[in-house]
Amino acid sequence: MKGTLNLVGYGLSAIGPAIATGMIFAAYISGVARQPEARSVLQPIAFLGFALAEALALFGLVLAFVL
Amino acid sequence: MKPNDDGAAWSIVGYLLSGMLFWGGVGWALDHWLKTHYFLLGGLLLGVSASIYLIWLRIGRNSK
Amino acid sequence: MRSLHLLSASGGGFVPPSSNDFIFPSFFGHSQYATKPIFLVFLSVLLISIFFVLASRKAAIVPSKLQFAGESLYGFVRNDLGRDIIGHEFMRFVPYLFTLFVFILTNNIFGIVPLLQFPTMSHVSFPYVLAIITFVVFHYIGIRKQGIRKYIKDIMFMPGVPKAAYILLTPIEIATYFITRPLTLALRLFANMFAGHLLLLVFILGGDHLLKGVIGLKLISPFAFAFGIGLTFFEFLVQCLQAYIFTLLTALYIAGALADEH
Repeated sequence: MKGTLNLVGYGLSAIGPAIATGMIFAAYISGVARQPEARSVLQPIAFLGFALAEALALFGLVLAFVL
Repeated sequence: MKPNDDGAAWSIVGYLLSGMLFWGGVGWALDHWLKTHYFLLGGLLLGVSASIYLIWLRIGRNSK
Repeated sequence: MRSLHLLSASGGGFVPPSSNDFIFPSFFGHSQYATKPIFLVFLSVLLISIFFVLASRKAAIVPSKLQFAGESLYGFVRNDLGRDIIGHEFMRFVPYLFTLFVFILTNNIFGIVPLLQFPTMSHVSFPYVLAIITFVVFHYIGIRKQGIRKYIKDIMFMPGVPKAAYILLTPIEIATYFITRPLTLALRLFANMFAGHLLLLVFILGGDHLLKGVIGLKLISPFAFAFGIGLTFFEFLVQCLQAYIFTLLTALYIAGALADEH
């Protein structure tokens, strides 16, 4: 077996953003399900939260290749 | 239905990736050129913050 | 890992599936173009043509089963991907979207069809070509609709931003529209098909190898095969989903190019 340990580290670090993304969209869906008219308020917040969480995942991806 | 609403959501990852690659690439090139090792991190952080700003402009601002 | 390897060493070492499993020998002679993926692409074109000719030949008001299958597929692409996303000009783009969807779907599903069992899109060159076609289509539409100067200006300069921020934002916008979009479009399809095929190979070949080992490992191998079968159904879901997402993103890019301001 051969490979680089960076990818193992990236795999571990991707767990955090994965859980975060799941929680963000779970909260968004249950919020819209309870109050459908709140959709237009919640949507940008949910997507911005998703962007912040996803930024960390992509950060890990880039650093796994660069370092 | 406004056609741009869904498109903005799909392009988040694209914006983040291109921001990181462009400004991180600039930082990497500066590092390579000046023989330093802190421009890469700075470039990546700059790229991330610029991308998130751009995403806020695209998504957050429209729905006031 | 090492002890497992020693236990099953009686039948020779296990060669884990790798990217070498995606390289096929040529059918005849030294021609590097007559390989399995190329054959599958031609087969898919043939199958799609036969299916839709048969489905539309005897069109009736009370549809036959075949006609119903073809029409519901077409209706799905036309209504859910064309009309709902692109808007009132959608009819011009339905042929392209429909061709794209059916072509990718057929080639993906080849991954779980017995005897064929290779998703063509797991060779990265095929998704690249499709993404380049989409890239040309949506930029051409945008340029023809708005004129080249206004189109480029709309991409580069987002309204309502302080002037100094353009130094930061304009390179990102250009990189997104001209590099990241076609690249991620192609790589998403490729990576899903590649990883899915590799996953199936790991479970099926691994189960096969466990069967050759000592008695304890023989008892494990049914679990590996069961997982392989379960993952085959999961792969079917992923293959349909990726064909849908590729077409959806194409429609979204076309809609973005048609819209007046970005």
